[in-house]
Amino acid sequence: MSYSVNISVEATIENQIQEIQYDGTEIYQPPLTLSESLAKYAQKIDFSKTSEVDIKKEESSEDSKSDTDSKDAFQSSIWPWDSVRTKLRSSLQEICVLADVLAIAKEKRYLVLDPVQQEPLETKPMVQIYARKKALGGAANVLLAGAEKMKNSQTEAARNRTTLDFHIELLRLRQNWRLKKVSNTIIGDLSYRTTGSKYLQTGTFEVTKAEDEEKPSSPPSSPLPGGPIPSKPNSALRVSIPTELQGVAYIEVLCQKDQEDLCSVNLNLMGTAPPPSNPDMHWQQKLEAAQNVLFCKELFNQLAKEAVQLQAPIPHMVVGNQIMATVLPGIQLIIGLRHSTSGDKKQQTPPPSKSDHDHVLEHSLHQLLREVHHKNTHHPFPHPATGPLGPSKKRMLAGPLAADRHELLEMTKTQTLLEQIVQQAQHFIMRMRTEYVLDTIAKEVKDPLISSHWNTLNSPTHSCVKIHISTHGYDAVCRTPLIIHVGEKSLKCICRDGKVMNMSYEPQELRDLIFCHISQHQIVAVQALAKTMGWQALGNSNHLGTGAVEPLGNSSSCLLSSPTGDRIIAVRCEPQAGPQVSVAHSPRTDFFPSRLVTERKWEHLGGQFRDVRLDKMEGRNFLHKMELLMASLTSNS
Amino acid sequence: MSAPGNAMDSLSAALKCNIIPNQEYLLQGSVLDQYVEVLLHRLRGLCDNVDSGPESFHDHELCFSLRIANTGATTPMSVFSLRVRRALDVSDTPYQLRYIGQQELGDKNRPTVVRSSIDMACSSTIVDFLTELGCRVDFEYIARGYMFRKGRMKITVSKIFKMGGNKPGETVEPISQSYLVELSVLAPSGQDAIAEDMRIFAEQLRPLVQLEKIDYKRLGNIM
Repeated sequence: MSYSVNISVEATIENQIQEIQYDGTEIYQPPLTLSESLAKYAQKIDFSKTSEVDIKKEESSEDSKSDTDSKDAFQSSIWPWDSVRTKLRSSLQEICVLADVLAIAKEKRYLVLDPVQQEPLETKPMVQIYARKKALGGAANVLLAGAEKMKNSQTEAARNRTTLDFHIELLRLRQNWRLKKVSNTIIGDLSYRTTGSKYLQTGTFEVTKAEDEEKPSSPPSSPLPGGPIPSKPNSALRVSIPTELQGVAYIEVLCQKDQEDLCSVNLNLMGTAPPPSNPDMHWQQKLEAAQNVLFCKELFNQLAKEAVQLQAPIPHMVVGNQIMATVLPGIQLIIGLRHSTSGDKKQQTPPPSKSDHDHVLEHSLHQLLREVHHKNTHHPFPHPATGPLGPSKKRMLAGPLAADRHELLEMTKTQTLLEQIVQQAQHFIMRMRTEYVLDTIAKEVKDPLISSHWNTLNSPTHSCVKIHISTHGYDAVCRTPLIIHVGEKSLKCICRDGKVMNMSYEPQELRDLIFCHISQHQIVAVQALAKTMGWQALGNSNHLGTGAVEPLGNSSSCLLSSPTGDRIIAVRCEPQAGPQVSVAHSPRTDFFPSRLVTERKWEHLGGQFRDVRLDKMEGRNFLHKMELLMASLTSNS
Repeated sequence: MSAPGNAMDSLSAALKCNIIPNQEYLLQGSVLDQYVEVLLHRLRGLCDNVDSGPESFHDHELCFSLRIANTGATTPMSVFSLRVRRALDVSDTPYQLRYIGQQELGDKNRPTVVRSSIDMACSSTIVDFLTELGCRVDFEYIARGYMFRKGRMKITVSKIFKMGGNKPGETVEPISQSYLVELSVLAPSGQDAIAEDMRIFAEQLRPLVQLEKIDYKRLGNIM
């Protein structure tokens, strides 16, 4: 301390404030006592550095080092452990001193060890806060960076997923629809051109990615008409279809009798199609609907063109979206194109109750157009192979077979769609009428039973029904078969005897024919029954010339005689009035000679016919009654 | 209805209006037997209406030639050749008589060979008829293979067989280990746009088949 400058250090006058109470009084720390302050200051002295001995020693060691400078290398080589030795010696010295101090302190006579109150570490809260803030900031940065990375990878994955979806959907689209890339857009084609259609209207649609549209449209204005993209797109694809192909279309086919509907067919290719074009519809359904619209338009266009060109006896009418053609007198075929583009329009269309009917005509129309398409593309290949493409085999053979002008002209003739559908409609009406006539006759006439069997296989313009007239219980004895071919405008009936009757479209003709056959059936059946009973058929006529003139057809009759020949039954059957039976006895069982008839043999000439009141007789039906009658007449003899 | 007498008039009118397809646009090439399946597969993908499988054919062709001595002594005899072809696999098809004219190779800008071609269907007596006319059979062969259609284009992939015995179909042996591929269109003259379509189609068959304009004269020189 002798060389240092004296500095007076004084404690601050004011004591430190320990705490401030709520009322403002400050509680000071009590000032340090003398010994306490001594201990405090003493504690601050670093004895190890300031000891004189050490300083001197250092100086001397430096001196000795400078002395031995010349033989430094030699010395160091001899004493490599010199520094270790000196350190060990100094530490030994210190240990010894410590031992001495401890020994002295233990005596408590010369030295007292006092605990020194450790100065509390001065803490600077602000620094600490800053430090903590910095540390936390660092940690937060690490976390944020990590989170950012994860978020990035997730969005990347999400984006990858959506693009993947888009491409997979595009692939699916490509599997079913024709697509091509024009600069940056993907254009699809839903027209039937590749399958042979020659309709001029194009069916192009555009394929876009759904998410691209969604982002700009959703925040600024959601009810934008241009962007009716669903808020929750269920598909990464979006197809935009031209407005004229949007919505739902179908061809309505009606057969009308004057103002009353005979039948109506609402045809819709989609069958139970989903409600019209809501924007949420899947692209597949959307495209199918649009394609259906295109198809219906082409079909109607074609029909309308034909309706104008065709020279029909009663001209076809085309008014707006409706074609009217006369099928049979008083019956019109109405073909309409119904196209609804939005939901409210759909309600205007006729109620679906009308569509309960047959869909056959509507289906046929579709089929007919598809056939045209098919023919347009499926040309026959030439044989031999070097022949020209296009002409049919029949046409190729026309030369070698020397076909004449008429035959060649016949080859060029084709039926138009309208003609074909009119024919089908005619046939449809004819079939319906025939069914109706047969059913009502079967209902009206109970005595001979009338059963009709429709062939399950028929063509759109030709069908066939087989009719059996038979009597209940006597089917084995006699049955009358009839075959009726139902054509487009006429009926052809092939009778039991092979006669062919051609009839027009008027249902009354068929009705009359059936009634004639019923009356003939009764006569034929009675004769067959008589044969089994042992009676003899004397004669019969299908077209009896005698008697009152029938309003329709001719009456038929037959004469039967009993096995012994003494009884004769006459049966006359009229289509309208039904059968009449008369019985004659000859000879009479009792004979009394008179002046006029002198001998019994004259009685064999036959007597008077007496009418049998069939309605009073027992028996289920006419044949049964006849059987009972014959049986009773036979037993009597 | 015009009277049937003026058939010649209407024919000449048709010729004038240029609606008779009498020009054949042709590209030819060949493919080795081992790769023909690949080619057929590709054609099935490219052509129309192959859902029912490719159409096969089996034809017999006779080539007749008629030597006409020219009246002028300075020019040599000109040879006029006619082809008669019939299908062996399909019954009651007519025979086909065909005249093929000189082929025009044209310059490099023209993508296909163009040759005039007139064909007609006829009955089986055509062979006797031609023989009576003084035609001689130059050669005959059997072609068997498949044909495809793409729009107006007809593609045939056929193998050519030598006629062995006197009767066709008895013993036939293939002429080479490859198939002849032909791409042809029959069109009225002047419709050169179709040639461009053919070139584009031929491009799609490369490198399986190189459909090219074959110059027969040069082929003769090589051989």
